[in-house]
Amino acid sequence: MKLSLGPNLFYWPRQATLDFYAEVATLPFDLVYLGETVCSRRHELRAEDWLDVAVQLAGAGKEVVLSSQALIESESDLKALRRLVDNGRFAVEANEMGAVRILAEKKLPFVAGMSLNVFNAHTLGLLADMGATRWVMPPEAGRETLAGVLAGKPPGVQTEVFAYGRLPLAWSARCFTARRFNLQKDTCEFKCVEFPDGMLVKTREHEEFLVLNGVQTLSAKTYNLLREIPQLAAAGVDIVRLSPQWQGLADVAGAFRRALDGEAAQLAGDYCNGFWHGKPGLELVENT
Amino acid sequence: MLFKLPAHLPDFTLPAPLARLGARLPQLPPSLALVAGLNLALGRMIPREPLAPLAGKRFAIRVTDAGLTLRFAYSTRGFRPLFDAGKPDLTISARSRDFIALATREEDSDTLFFSRRLLMEGDTDLGLLVKNTLDGIDLPHFDPARLAPAEVLRRLRERLAHGA
Amino acid sequence: MSNPAPIELVCPAGGLPALKAAIDNGADCVYAGFKDDTNARNFNGLNFDDNTLREGIRYAHERRAKVLIALNTYPQTENWARWTAAVDKAADFGVDAVILADIGLMDYARRAHPDLRLHLSVQGSATSYEAINFYRERYGIQRAVLPRVLSLAQVEQVVKNTPVEIEVFGFGGLCVMVEGRCALSAYATGTSPNCNGACSPGKAVRWEQTPQGMETRLAGILIDRFADGERAGYPTLCKGRFEVEDATYYAIEEPTSLNTLELLPQLMAMGIRAIKIEGRQRSPAYVAQVTKVWREAIDSCQKDAAHFTPKAAWMAELNKVSEGQSHTLGAYNRPWK
Repeated sequence: MKLSLGPNLFYWPRQATLDFYAEVATLPFDLVYLGETVCSRRHELRAEDWLDVAVQLAGAGKEVVLSSQALIESESDLKALRRLVDNGRFAVEANEMGAVRILAEKKLPFVAGMSLNVFNAHTLGLLADMGATRWVMPPEAGRETLAGVLAGKPPGVQTEVFAYGRLPLAWSARCFTARRFNLQKDTCEFKCVEFPDGMLVKTREHEEFLVLNGVQTLSAKTYNLLREIPQLAAAGVDIVRLSPQWQGLADVAGAFRRALDGEAAQLAGDYCNGFWHGKPGLELVENT
Repeated sequence: MLFKLPAHLPDFTLPAPLARLGARLPQLPPSLALVAGLNLALGRMIPREPLAPLAGKRFAIRVTDAGLTLRFAYSTRGFRPLFDAGKPDLTISARSRDFIALATREEDSDTLFFSRRLLMEGDTDLGLLVKNTLDGIDLPHFDPARLAPAEVLRRLRERLAHGA
Repeated sequence: MSNPAPIELVCPAGGLPALKAAIDNGADCVYAGFKDDTNARNFNGLNFDDNTLREGIRYAHERRAKVLIALNTYPQTENWARWTAAVDKAADFGVDAVILADIGLMDYARRAHPDLRLHLSVQGSATSYEAINFYRERYGIQRAVLPRVLSLAQVEQVVKNTPVEIEVFGFGGLCVMVEGRCALSAYATGTSPNCNGACSPGKAVRWEQTPQGMETRLAGILIDRFADGERAGYPTLCKGRFEVEDATYYAIEEPTSLNTLELLPQLMAMGIRAIKIEGRQRSPAYVAQVTKVWREAIDSCQKDAAHFTPKAAWMAELNKVSEGQSHTLGAYNRPWK
């Protein structure tokens, strides 16, 4: 199995982002997904900056994929999407059906992203006919859904599973980070940049529950399928995806690399893995 | 004969002394009346099949402004009053006016819940099943006022009036 | 200006009495579902079996109203046959359209029942004309229901660039998240709107009167605590009060209902073809009350859009049945975002 790094869902300062990907070039990832998938207002890196990073990572031997924005609202969002598709070099991960339409029209191969909601083999087959060469399982799906899809998977399509990181749980048109500071989305002052792993949401009993990341809501707990790597391999997964975090990615990547190579690997933290086991996502199933 | 309800139910609360008095009265006779009404409807107005998950469940209906708590249980043989004070699986609390409005389909239970006039405690799924089953009954001769505390309350009021 | 195209009023029916209430009060269409997880209101005791569906379709068609069946959850490979059987059943019963989200199921419906009208469910998360045109070209969908995330100007941009009829939400419970893209319920309870057809299922909900107020818990997680007399909302995670950066507030959205009544003239002018009322989980009383108001409002607006203003009595009636304190224009009004 290969190891991939998903698109950074959070918003980091420009230099920090560039430094992060300079480090990623040295980490044991086979593939890296790049680009802003959450909010079109974020601009620390422009489209051409992302392409520069892509070129550098490709030069370091990584397979690079450019990820499209998951929620398209405006005409300018569509313009950005068309530019992404026309980048002329890198494959695109389609995160909504508008991107699929544009990619399929141009007969470009693409990655069917996790927000396309592929839950059955029939749907994957249709996307493969349109040019999908890989699909990313929705994080809320688990091993049973995966087995079902793979039982009828078209030949030549790769399977990628979100295996580490705060779980992307929901998208909205509303910016919850701006809301916290009584700002409107259109004049949000880019508050997201102050919360590089999202803004923590606790219950009124002080339990850490979610994080807010602009228009996106994620789990407070980190999803971790490190111990399930043998199950993923047995199920027929081709690529294991980690999600960027502000600190400590090198250790995580190292642990996953070792696990993929069949060596012993451990990570310590407040993890969850319920979705993979068909349980509420926040649960941690201990003995697998 | 049922007492006639106005087309739009006015907002009323039974006077507080009634609640204090109601709470001191035996709760069994009104429970019996409710259970008798429910059993009468069972199989005719209320289909039995969707009620299967209710079997063995204990219910309490708290009419807050009448000081009344009606306790009953359901089994495949029908409804029966409960004599003990054991914890019910589902407790529904509201004023008499709002129970009547629900029973006559003048008000939606979510509406009452949002405005804090209806409280459902215990097994929520059971509550949804009861609500959805009642909402789904469609028979021209259906008169939910017969099932509900309306009739019970009328009798209680009569008793109180005569006893006072 | 020419007369705006007729706009259909699409009302919810969780059961036969609600269906009749909708039609009796002026609904052009009712939407409904079967008694299982093939639809996104899979709640205990709700929805239609064969007998009530047959009677509902008869009742509607006799009164020139349409019946739409929502099959808007995502089938898995192992239960695929149950979803296709549901499409077959809807077609065999003669429904006027099915509302679908999964492209696999659309492909099946198109092949098996070429004459069956297909609507794209809000669960399909299509927010751009590119996405909507994708569904039209590939699967022949004739109407799309927009997620409640676009501003009025953005809605208009979609309408202008697609031949697909556009349906928008007019009133009812407000999903703040993009429909079809929300796993909050799955994360907390294991029940997924996408796959199991229910958000915040009853089995996970507990209400309890405590000395601190009425507490709402979902799978044990404290969602909210209401003081006496404070208006309450649905026990969903998105409508709860949480602590964020030392503030306790409705971090995502207040308990509130969407109400776009005042936007009717604009929605009609831009060519919206249908207004959807949310609330299949609610009682016939709600359906009757809301349908009646919207019928009057649409008729009044169609007669004279230039002088249309929402009557205070309409708004009062709608506020009465609203979740929580109030109503909102939601994303249609840009500052809400």
